[in-house]
Amino acid sequence: MITGFLFRALDRKAILVALALMAIALLVPLSNLYLPASHPLHVPTHILSLSGKYLTYALLALALDLVWGYCGILSLGHGAFFALGGYAMGMYLMRQIGTRGVYGNPVLPDFMVFLNWKELPWYWYGFDQFWFAALMVVAVPGALAFVFGWFAFRSRVSGVYLSIITQALTYALLLAFFRNEMGFGGNNGLTDFKDILGYSVQARETRAALFAATAIALALAFVICSGIVNSRYGKVLVCVRDAESRTRFIGYRVEHIKLFAFVVSAMMAGIAGALYVPQVGIINPGEFAPANSIEVVIWTAVGGRGTLVGPIIGAIAVNGGKSYFTAAFPEFWLFALGALFVATTLFLPKGIVGLVSGGVARLRTGREADRIEETLQPEAGAAE
Amino acid sequence: MRLIILLSGLLALILAATMPVSADEAELRAVIAKFSEAKKFSQTEAVIEELQALGDTDAVPTLNALSDGLLQVRESDGAVFIIKGDGETVDLLDPLTREAAGTAPGADLRKVKVKNSIRRLIADVVSGLTLRARNSAVRLEAAETMFSRPDPAMIATLDGVIAEETDAGVKTAFMQARAAAVLQSDLPEADKLDAIALMRDRGGRDVLPILTAIGASTQSDAIRAASREAIASIEESMMFWDAGQNILYGVSLGSVLLLAAIGLAITFGVMGVINMAHGEMVMLGAYTTFVVQEFIRTSAPWAFDYSLAIALPLAFCVSGAAGLVMERGIIRFLYGRPLETLLATWGVSLILQQAVRTIFGPTNREVGNPSWMSGSFEVGELLITTNRLWIVVFSGVVFAILLLVLKRTRFGLQMRAVTQNRPMASSMGIATPWVDAFTFALGSGIAGIAGVALSQIDNVSPNLGQGYIIDSFMVVVFGGVGNLWGTLVGAMTLGIANKFLEPYAGAVLAKIFILVLIILFIQKRPRGLFALKGRSVEA
Amino acid sequence: MNFIRKTMAGVFASAALAAATLVPSAQAQEDTIKVGVLHSLSGTMAISETTLKDVMLMLIDEQNKKGGLLGKKLEAVVVDPASDWPLFAEKARELITADKVAAVFGCWTSVSRKSVLPVFEELDSILFYPVQYEGEESQRNVFYTGAAPNQQAIPAVDYLMNEEGVERWVLAGTDYVYPRTTNKILEAYLKAKGVAPDDIMINYTPFGHSDWQTIVSDIKAFGSAGKKTAVVSTINGDANVPFYKELGNQGISASDIPVVAFSVGEEELAGLDTAPLVGHLAAWNYFQSVDTPENAAFIKEWKARMGENRVTNDPMEAHYIGFNMWVKAVEKAGTTDADAVIAALPGIQAPNLTGGMSTMLPNHHITKPVLIGEIQDDGQFEVVSETEDLVPGDAWSDYLPESKPLKSDWVELNCGNYNTETKTCLGGS
Repeated sequence: MITGFLFRALDRKAILVALALMAIALLVPLSNLYLPASHPLHVPTHILSLSGKYLTYALLALALDLVWGYCGILSLGHGAFFALGGYAMGMYLMRQIGTRGVYGNPVLPDFMVFLNWKELPWYWYGFDQFWFAALMVVAVPGALAFVFGWFAFRSRVSGVYLSIITQALTYALLLAFFRNEMGFGGNNGLTDFKDILGYSVQARETRAALFAATAIALALAFVICSGIVNSRYGKVLVCVRDAESRTRFIGYRVEHIKLFAFVVSAMMAGIAGALYVPQVGIINPGEFAPANSIEVVIWTAVGGRGTLVGPIIGAIAVNGGKSYFTAAFPEFWLFALGALFVATTLFLPKGIVGLVSGGVARLRTGREADRIEETLQPEAGAAE
Repeated sequence: MRLIILLSGLLALILAATMPVSADEAELRAVIAKFSEAKKFSQTEAVIEELQALGDTDAVPTLNALSDGLLQVRESDGAVFIIKGDGETVDLLDPLTREAAGTAPGADLRKVKVKNSIRRLIADVVSGLTLRARNSAVRLEAAETMFSRPDPAMIATLDGVIAEETDAGVKTAFMQARAAAVLQSDLPEADKLDAIALMRDRGGRDVLPILTAIGASTQSDAIRAASREAIASIEESMMFWDAGQNILYGVSLGSVLLLAAIGLAITFGVMGVINMAHGEMVMLGAYTTFVVQEFIRTSAPWAFDYSLAIALPLAFCVSGAAGLVMERGIIRFLYGRPLETLLATWGVSLILQQAVRTIFGPTNREVGNPSWMSGSFEVGELLITTNRLWIVVFSGVVFAILLLVLKRTRFGLQMRAVTQNRPMASSMGIATPWVDAFTFALGSGIAGIAGVALSQIDNVSPNLGQGYIIDSFMVVVFGGVGNLWGTLVGAMTLGIANKFLEPYAGAVLAKIFILVLIILFIQKRPRGLFALKGRSVEA
Repeated sequence: MNFIRKTMAGVFASAALAAATLVPSAQAQEDTIKVGVLHSLSGTMAISETTLKDVMLMLIDEQNKKGGLLGKKLEAVVVDPASDWPLFAEKARELITADKVAAVFGCWTSVSRKSVLPVFEELDSILFYPVQYEGEESQRNVFYTGAAPNQQAIPAVDYLMNEEGVERWVLAGTDYVYPRTTNKILEAYLKAKGVAPDDIMINYTPFGHSDWQTIVSDIKAFGSAGKKTAVVSTINGDANVPFYKELGNQGISASDIPVVAFSVGEEELAGLDTAPLVGHLAAWNYFQSVDTPENAAFIKEWKARMGENRVTNDPMEAHYIGFNMWVKAVEKAGTTDADAVIAALPGIQAPNLTGGMSTMLPNHHITKPVLIGEIQDDGQFEVVSETEDLVPGDAWSDYLPESKPLKSDWVELNCGNYNTETKTCLGGS
């Protein structure tokens, strides 16, 4: 069955994207580590870490595309799953600091020491072990998504309502994590990391390895998503998106189908967060901000939703643009970002991928373009 | 030398307390002139004490001016004046008679510096001097000051004042002030028991500490028992008042939420457009108020109290126009795709925020409260702040007008027709695109009006709108989409629930609880409190 | 096949875009010294930080008018970290590696500083941090020109205790690390001074809290216990305006319950009608109303540049001092090389705007006077108390048990957190 899954997953498109990502995972770090700085193909470290960050965003956008593009669930709270994964990883990294904190306390993180906490809260136990933290990176977002989705999908909360309560969810978490009593470092969050698996997070090699890990994770996630959407289940998923009631009448348990996609997507978002934290060096409640989650939606929309490749391109392009504009036109970049949102929804309903394939389709009426057309069209009818 | 002055001052004080003396005007002027040399706070205090020693009520305006920072010294000759007005040149008034005494350039004047402890000293001195003032309000104020800072040394004086007092209200206040002083003195038990009884009758929160203090410090069992009993009775009535106060706070918070959400109830609730730029419409309204006030400040300062009335229609027009442009330019292309309007309007909100930031700067702008919206008053133990009260009234009026527009006007009829069955409405000859446009403009305009009200209690900054957008959505979704009454009930429920949770859970947890409750509530009733029934819902 | 091409084209296009962003924006010119300015120009913190960007540009222009530095012109590199903390780290990295700036002036919130710390450490550059903060930190690459708690909070409490006779304390703050730490320190300090635990009320509110009705009425109730009460406010930025409005409306005047604030300066008051607030206090190391020739010149220049109704405030002065110290240190070292400048900085003196000379200490904090000011009806402060001498900034508070034995000395010990009991330099750098 797994071979069957893989076989379907690895259609030509998936193979190519996965191979491209694998190549990036290998070549970019090598170029950074072994090519001399003067070499034209040398990738400087700051670009490496920046690209690593973009790739985690791409993974997050990919996760969102699975639920939004293929299942019609517009989650405005995916940042919450991302942040929870990030916090799980951050807690592991905090525990790795050990006696190297400013107060030299072997067990308690610095922020607990200066808030006069005497012992570690129970939910911090186990995070000194990487395997446990790694488990939590997927388990916590997965569990939250399961509980939330279980209730929401069963009571048939859908469309705009669902979007708004996912937003309420992430906002409530934002407020909760801001509280210092929660024991997650309050507004400052978790920072000042030293080691991951025994290697210094600041070392060039570690950065290169993290980059490679992110690219590989993205490739794997892409293959998995591609497998899901090309499977029988994936077809049903699209049915749910396009005509939820009909699917239900045919006899499918719509809420289970949605729930599965939602949980898988949340877990992927958690992994993205976990890879994000060591590369960026900080996780704080700001990641829960509803605005961040909305931005993820924008990346997906700009790239082209329901295409799997689109969100990856969108996340990289929008964030690249953001990096550029915040440096080049610091006063005006919000105009550019805002205009991008408006323009995308008005003129590029299918995103960059749709634009490219549309353009190609006009030149030669390709099968591919029609397929994308097909998968994108019916959304309008489904949502409210 | 200083000692002698002080001693004679004290003597004079005692004299002043027993019989009103009118000091020589020249003497008074001589003391007031000393303010020009008072460079240190301690020197200023000494001069005030000298004035107190003279015991002349004529010094009261001078002292009040000093407290308000209006007593200033002309640098060129060291003369002391009360000033009026500000700007390049200011009017000078005689410190005693308050008659006009010419003008002086602002640069030539130096303020006699005061600080809090001096202001308190002045308040005490003034209350001592005004115990026999002609105006009963002034006497009442003096009595309240004495009550808040009781001094056993004043008992004898108060006895005299009480005997002379004719106004019943003021007399009670003096007796209460005396009682507070008695409880701190070493008078016999019987006096203190009487005083406790008086305190008990007065009631209220500010009595409790006095009673607690006497209960804790006394040797006498009778006094302890009396004070304990008085405390219990006061606390019982306070509980009732506290609950009332919480409801009041809740209603006030609820009406803020209602104001913020009511425009959204139209754009989102009636039209189904997720307008993420709704908060920015509120912000535009607030900035309109700022611009109006700026204009009034520079060109017609006398009209300041009317600034909000002028700002209201303007804010409606500005935000309404912005909404109209948005609908015609963007949203009309996205009908039927609500999730995409969300993205586009989010983009618009970013642009509007940055535009305001570029034009008005990123910092908060000052929007003043007109005088009729400042201050507070008490009803029993309930403290009602005037601006909150006006906001409650205002949101009620806006709600009522909106309801009327929807139910009783032709436009409202068309609007409802279009939202209920667009093709049918269209075939009946309604220009549906324009109804859409004006409905959206109406929702945005209402948001602008809300901005005028919110400018009175919150920051006027480019971030203003962001703070309300999530709350507004919660209110509309909780109340039930497409139903104005739902929005009203939703806003009030959330406001009051929040205020009742806050004392137990703290502000942050209260908010989290509310959010979680809404999430759970939506599971139970996915369409909100007042769900629309019928076909249109399922479309 | 076309799909491959499309996808690859897309990936390359975006990669190219990403790469384009990172190539230094101006071709590295050898004849300028670049100075990074890392302040949020958008998002929630823009309200406070934009002014600091403007003041840095002004200071750099001034220095260039004086002939620049080491014979070269200074060039400001302004970026916008958009109040987004991870973006602060990204932008710091970009400034240091791509733009090759000699030093960075920036950050406001503690979290933004914490976010960039590892970057400065790793890439060995210099950050000047201009805002009052909670202390409990001393990093080799960071110079703290704002106040440490002992340069602001403790003198303010002393003033209230001695001058106003305050016996009952409300410590109200926004729930983040600066108020938390400051209140911890103050609580310990007050208890050491004999204040009963019942006489201390601590309250935290979220960022941007706007409905203060309940809390203000609680403060009022707490304050009517017969003892003189004061509020020590570490309420942050945006939440202050509705807080003060509610105070004014509920009729709490400064002579009843004075509020002393550590985060409210001239800039914040500019958005308020201050008439009902007259007499409330703030503790800073600088006020615009301070009457010295340096300050008059500074204000004149600022107003000429930015407009007549702009005000100056404490963090601006901190940048003024920090920038001048950096200039002197670079001149002393004869190079902009980070290690040389870091070594040269301790001991450097630069005039502050209140008439004294501030010194950079070995713990990378500076000496400052502490001023207590009362709010006036024109939105300015009037100084009612001033410390006799400059107070040296203390990185590690003596009132917190864990940080009491710690000491920071980058000159002799080369350590930011030296434990004087165990005689060891604890972890970190």
